[in-house]
Amino acid sequence: MNILARKIRASASAVAICFAVAVSGQAWADPMRVAFGDIATVESLHLLAAFERAREKGVDVQVTFLKSEDIAAQAVVSGQADIGVGAPYALLQKVKAPIRIFMQLSKLQFYPVVNTEFYKNWKDLDGQEIAVHSRGSGTEAIMQLMAEKNGISYSSISYVPGAEVRTGALLQGNVKATIVDSSGKRVLEDKAPGKFAFLPMGDVSATDEALFANTDYLSANAKDVEILVEAILTTWREVAADPKSVTALKEKYKLLPDATPEMVADIEPYFAESAPNMPLNGGGGAAAKDDLEFYTVSGALEGDAKDLKVEDFWDLSALNNVLSRIGTK
Amino acid sequence: MQMSVSPAKLRDGIGAPKEVPPTVLEKIQSFADERRSFWIVVSLTLLFASWEMAGRIPISFAFPTFLETLSAFGEMVADGSMHKAYLITLQPLVMGVLVSALVGIGLGVAMGLSDKAEWLLAPVFIVLQAAPMAALVPLVTFVYGIGLTAKTLAVIMLALPVIVLNSYKAVRHVNPSLVDMCRSFQGSRVQQIFKIIIPDASPVLFAGLRLGIAAGFIGVMLAELLITPTGIGDLITYHRSVANYAHMYAAVASIIAVSTLTLAGLQYVETHLLRPEKRRK
Repeated sequence: MNILARKIRASASAVAICFAVAVSGQAWADPMRVAFGDIATVESLHLLAAFERAREKGVDVQVTFLKSEDIAAQAVVSGQADIGVGAPYALLQKVKAPIRIFMQLSKLQFYPVVNTEFYKNWKDLDGQEIAVHSRGSGTEAIMQLMAEKNGISYSSISYVPGAEVRTGALLQGNVKATIVDSSGKRVLEDKAPGKFAFLPMGDVSATDEALFANTDYLSANAKDVEILVEAILTTWREVAADPKSVTALKEKYKLLPDATPEMVADIEPYFAESAPNMPLNGGGGAAAKDDLEFYTVSGALEGDAKDLKVEDFWDLSALNNVLSRIGTK
Repeated sequence: MQMSVSPAKLRDGIGAPKEVPPTVLEKIQSFADERRSFWIVVSLTLLFASWEMAGRIPISFAFPTFLETLSAFGEMVADGSMHKAYLITLQPLVMGVLVSALVGIGLGVAMGLSDKAEWLLAPVFIVLQAAPMAALVPLVTFVYGIGLTAKTLAVIMLALPVIVLNSYKAVRHVNPSLVDMCRSFQGSRVQQIFKIIIPDASPVLFAGLRLGIAAGFIGVMLAELLITPTGIGDLITYHRSVANYAHMYAAVASIIAVSTLTLAGLQYVETHLLRPEKRRK
């Protein structure tokens, strides 16, 4: 009898605990779970600083670092993360999940580069082989867009993932024409000045990274999301005004404590270069329209860019609220 | 007193119907007994039906139904991307499996026959078999780059230890009385190996070969997903990145099907051509 009573008591308390946990999940503020599709590097220092600032204002931001942007997007789709970092346009279009982008973090910043021993300009690349990051990637889209603009076509495109790998391949001479990121550009200018030429790009503007979330989450946690958006916008504006402030932010919030001296040395040049290109108003409708055009060319989006509606991809309410409060720049 | 009534008598007894037509269940039963493929078809139908249902619920926004996957597969076959992908994927796979089979059976048999070879090699392959290869595959790129060599090596890394260790065990567990018999008939060492040991070890040799090929498939997929996306690995990565989940699942399912069919084919060759005594009556 005693055993039975004990068992009943145990089950009752277990049920009570489960119930309490479930209810508390609903009633009190949850942590804001952010899924980051990459490891943290110096290039995301300003974002990490913005998370810290949002935390100071009472939003419990919890960041998880995942292997790739796809996985971050899957985590948001399945509800294991609230906010994802990336540009999941293909997912937004093809998977009827109620996910929306709500602010732009950065624009694609890539530099088409050729070995001057072989090529000098875009026309020289007609019928030649180039290397890009991966099939359907932004780098491929940029190269295709530029080929279209210059009326040329490549003989073949090889896929070499990782800008640093392509930079190394250029230096070794394995690749003659490719596209690198800003740190790759700096390495090339450092190690072999004059040997490589960066080809002009005109104005290609597209989102590299954005924040996205489930629409239910956005409406249920509007206040937290706005705090986060505001923290990011103010940090971005600070960094754009003074790229050196990132080092101070790193010290203040003790970000990336394991960063090597080389990584720390890379902080200022990186932000000095990217500052003019930082979206200070969170992108918004204009950025969304550019993206729809760009990602239609890249093949991530299907159909005609004119027929795609911004509201199927973006939720601008949080961004607009914050901008009306802090003004645009 | 013993009561023995033959079933025939009972059936012919008064009141019993003369010819009972077989019920539906009995018909299915006899059909299933006649054709072994019946149960395979039933099991696959169940699997695909539950897949279709799971896709329709849906269990995840990114989970396509079976029919969507099938049509994506058809589309990729029609536009030729599937063939091209397999041509690329099969290169490291076939080379790696061939090398592993030849070297693996050779080394395994040598280890089984000679104590010296066993001492020298067994620990290496036992460690290799226990090692989590997925963690080691990226290391291959540091030495061999990202080309075909690295991918073939990844296949060998997974397939070779399995084949070696199974061949070694196969030779070690040959029936000793058969070996004794050979000796009492004054068989030479060469006759002993080729007429007694290898034929008697062949069931386990073949089992090792099948496991090795299955491991080779794992190796080639690891290589194509972890080193550089090519072939089927590229189809999976690309369609995942542009959110064509039906195409991605079709690529995954196709490599599973190819692997299964290869293993079934090997078993067929083994039982029908090499060891007819094993065939099911």
